[in-house]
Amino acid sequence: MSKSKSRQELVGKILAQVVLIAATAVIIVPLYWVFKTSLTGENLYSYPPSPFPVNPHLFNFVDVFYWIPFARFALNSVIVSGIVVFANLLFNSMAAMALTYDFKLKSIVITMYLSSMMIPFQTAIIPAFLLTRELGLLNSHLGLAMPLLATIVNIFVFKSSFDAVPKSIIDSSRIDGLSEWRILDKIYLPLAGPAIATNIILAFVWSWNNFIWPLIIVRDEEMQTLPLALSRFLSYFEDTSGQLYAFVVLVAIPVILVFLANQKSFVKGILAGAVKG
Amino acid sequence: MKHKHPRGLIALYLLPSIAVLFLYRWLPVMWNFFLSFQNWKPIGENEWIGLKSYQTIIADPVFWESLENTLIYFFIGTPIAIALALLLGLLVNEPIRGRNFYRTVIFLPYPITPVAIGLIWKWMLNDRVGLVNHILRSLGLIENGIPFLQSFQFALPSVIGTTIWQVVGYFMILVLAGLQTIPTSLNDAALIDGAGTIRRTWSITLPLIKSTLFLCFIIGIINSFTVFDMVYVMTNGGPGHATEFLVTYIYRNAFEFSRLGYSAAMTVVMFIVLLAVTFLSNRLSGGEAGGGRNYE
Repeated sequence: MSKSKSRQELVGKILAQVVLIAATAVIIVPLYWVFKTSLTGENLYSYPPSPFPVNPHLFNFVDVFYWIPFARFALNSVIVSGIVVFANLLFNSMAAMALTYDFKLKSIVITMYLSSMMIPFQTAIIPAFLLTRELGLLNSHLGLAMPLLATIVNIFVFKSSFDAVPKSIIDSSRIDGLSEWRILDKIYLPLAGPAIATNIILAFVWSWNNFIWPLIIVRDEEMQTLPLALSRFLSYFEDTSGQLYAFVVLVAIPVILVFLANQKSFVKGILAGAVKG
Repeated sequence: MKHKHPRGLIALYLLPSIAVLFLYRWLPVMWNFFLSFQNWKPIGENEWIGLKSYQTIIADPVFWESLENTLIYFFIGTPIAIALALLLGLLVNEPIRGRNFYRTVIFLPYPITPVAIGLIWKWMLNDRVGLVNHILRSLGLIENGIPFLQSFQFALPSVIGTTIWQVVGYFMILVLAGLQTIPTSLNDAALIDGAGTIRRTWSITLPLIKSTLFLCFIIGIINSFTVFDMVYVMTNGGPGHATEFLVTYIYRNAFEFSRLGYSAAMTVVMFIVLLAVTFLSNRLSGGEAGGGRNYE
């Protein structure tokens, strides 16, 4: 009896490993394949394709810098992401700070925050474009950053962090005469390390990956962010797959590294966001 | 201790985030509605045309095709993604070797730039040297490469498959979080009663993570109604309109054909359908699902 049970368990374990290895392969292989394509020196249209880079070289990467103003596009992405991250830290923590008080309209404000999650940005693109045009912010870094300056998920990440601070500490520091701004600055924020990390990571990834908004409001070539430039690369250069996939690698690597270096904060953040609503 | 509420300060703290949400979420909802009754002109006054745009929508076969594709993505793609995520989540929740590695790898596509993912799969699905065709040919299943993204038959499944590839890890993480709320005592008790793995999963685990699964479902609704980036780089809606989705069609009309009024009307219809589908799912789930989600 117990013998057949343990055999069953073993079969189950092996089956589980087989399924998971297959799933892992389905994820890893395309990523590897593109990485290989970016490095290989073989003729990309030779058949059958080699599973390993043939005469690997970095010329494809060099070409990307050479053919297009890659550094300029990367700078655009960095500037926009920088604005977004900074604004998220400031505005989201302020909003969460406000929610630590009891005030008359609090439940309405919270409902407003939560329900705006039901309005995907994609349904807002046309008015958002007209508004940005009115504001004269088409084609600008600030215009690109605007829709992401405050994000609901990140507000709630801060809120749950602030809610965890014992009320007695806050009350006693008020008695000690600390101003409200100081309380945010000196008590809540220093205790909110993980929430700050989550805000930085999520805001960065959202901004870095953003595509439809730059596609709509960027008019001049030199204002393109990386995903936008990447999407247009092929229309400029025919049959340049080696370079294209080097470009893909360059765009994807920063987010992959940020995620791998901060897995816990990233996952915690998206879970907080998902469960809150 | 009673503390006087610093009302002005609260307002000041709330102002920036509310302004951003108002300008880029709430105002657009109303503005779209307003714009949908107008013929938008780049210069000069817009012209009121009443319900004309809505009449055009009803007679526009491409709109219906894009709605159909959106609903196919939702009704077929989302359940597949959730089923896969459930399977993988149950497996990596067991104490098996390498579970952390598997979790990380399966989640890895989620944060990657969707434009990059679209291009990665465009390359994988290339008819001449794409790896997918190479494998199919090596196995002797096909003789000539299939031009997946240029084929009326395969383009839509290919695009939907790519989105599933990206989102499965995310759903898996949600499933895992749901599984962690199940008290181990329940499973232990069932184990003592001699219930097998499948039996335990079916009668204990699944009912307990029902709300998590509904949450995935709601997120799936939003994803299917907002899919854009990958489609844009993989097929741009083609061939014909075989992979046209609501947002790609709305984008095209607004920003390629300058038909902003018409696009606004389609956005209004899309928003209403989205709310209706979300509401219905919530009702069907007995109100157990969390609200919808958009990560921006």
